[in-house]
Amino acid sequence: MKTTRTDLMEDAHGNSAWSQWFEVHGPKLLLCARQWTRSLADAEDAVQEAFVRFWRGQRELGGEPFPLVLTSIRRVAFDLARGNLRRTRRELRALDAAEGDGLLFEPLAEGDERRRAIEAALKRLPDEQREVLVLKIWGELTFAQIAGQLGISPNTAASRYRYALTALRHDLTETNCHG
Amino acid sequence: MDEELEQFEAELRRLRPRAVDHRLCDAIAKKIVPVRTTNLLGRARTWIALPVAAALVGSVVYFTTFSPPGSRQLASAAAPTSPIAVPSPAPQFKPVAARNILVSATDEGLVSLADGTPARRIRQSYVDTITWQNASTKASLTWTVPREEVKVVPVSYQ
Repeated sequence: MKTTRTDLMEDAHGNSAWSQWFEVHGPKLLLCARQWTRSLADAEDAVQEAFVRFWRGQRELGGEPFPLVLTSIRRVAFDLARGNLRRTRRELRALDAAEGDGLLFEPLAEGDERRRAIEAALKRLPDEQREVLVLKIWGELTFAQIAGQLGISPNTAASRYRYALTALRHDLTETNCHG
Repeated sequence: MDEELEQFEAELRRLRPRAVDHRLCDAIAKKIVPVRTTNLLGRARTWIALPVAAALVGSVVYFTTFSPPGSRQLASAAAPTSPIAVPSPAPQFKPVAARNILVSATDEGLVSLADGTPARRIRQSYVDTITWQNASTKASLTWTVPREEVKVVPVSYQ
C-alpha cells in the first residue's frame, strides 16, 4: 500500500487522492499563504491558483509536492500584491477591516484565549521573522528548504527563527503581565 | 535552545492551522478533475468510434500489405529497394523545470457583476516556460507559452 505523500499525489486520476493530500496539507499551505497576502480571500486565491498550476504542469517533476506548491503560492502572492497596488485605498482598508480574517488556527476546546493571544502576537512579529517561523513550525520545512524558498542562507533562516521564537515568547509574557 | 524555548516551540506545534473552506476545495476540484460524460450519446459515440477506428487501421494495413501487383511494380521501379527502417522509440522527455513570469498587469477599471456587485477587472499577461529533458541524452526542450488571465475581483466598500 502506497503511503508516501508523493505517491498519493501521483495516484490521483480521480477525485479521492488529490483531495486526501489537500485535506492534510491544504491548511498548512493556506497558513503559509497568509504570511504573503493581505487577506484570507487573497490567500485562498493564491493556494487555488498554485495548486491547479502544480497539478497541470509540475506533478511529474518528482520530489515532495509541498515545497513545489509553496514556491508557486509565493509567486502568485507577489503577483496579487502587485495587483493590490492598483486597488484604491478604500478597497484596501475594507480588506484590512474584514471580519473573520483573523483566525489562523483551529479554536481550542480549552485555553482558546491563549490561542488568540498567540495569533495576535504572531501578527506583531516582523514579516521576515514570522514567515520563517510559520514555514518551520507549521510548514514543517527544514532550514535548508526555508532558505531555498526565501532566497536566504540556512544560517540566516535559523537566526530569524530563533529571534522570532524569542520575540514571540517575550511578547506573550509581557501581555500576560500587563493583562 | 533552552528548555523553556523548546517547550514554547512544542506549544506552538500543537496549534493546528485553520481548516480549508470547502468552497476552496470545490473550486480546485472544478479545475482539475475531468468531467465524465455519462449520457447515452457519449457512450454511443464511443461504441461507434471504436469499430470505425479499427476498420480504418485494418484498411491501412490491408492496402499496404496486399497492394495490387501493378502498383508494386510501379513502386519498385520508382524507388530503389532499401531495407525497411525500424523507427526508433520516441525519446523519453520528462519535465524538469517550470516557470511563470508575470509580464504585465492592467487594471481595466470597475465593472458590475450580474447581481450588481461592483468589481474590479484586472488583466494579467504571463509567459509560462516548461523545460523537458531526456535523462539519457541530456537533450532538452523548452516550451514557452504566453497566457492571459482576466480576473474580476469583487470590491467591498465598508
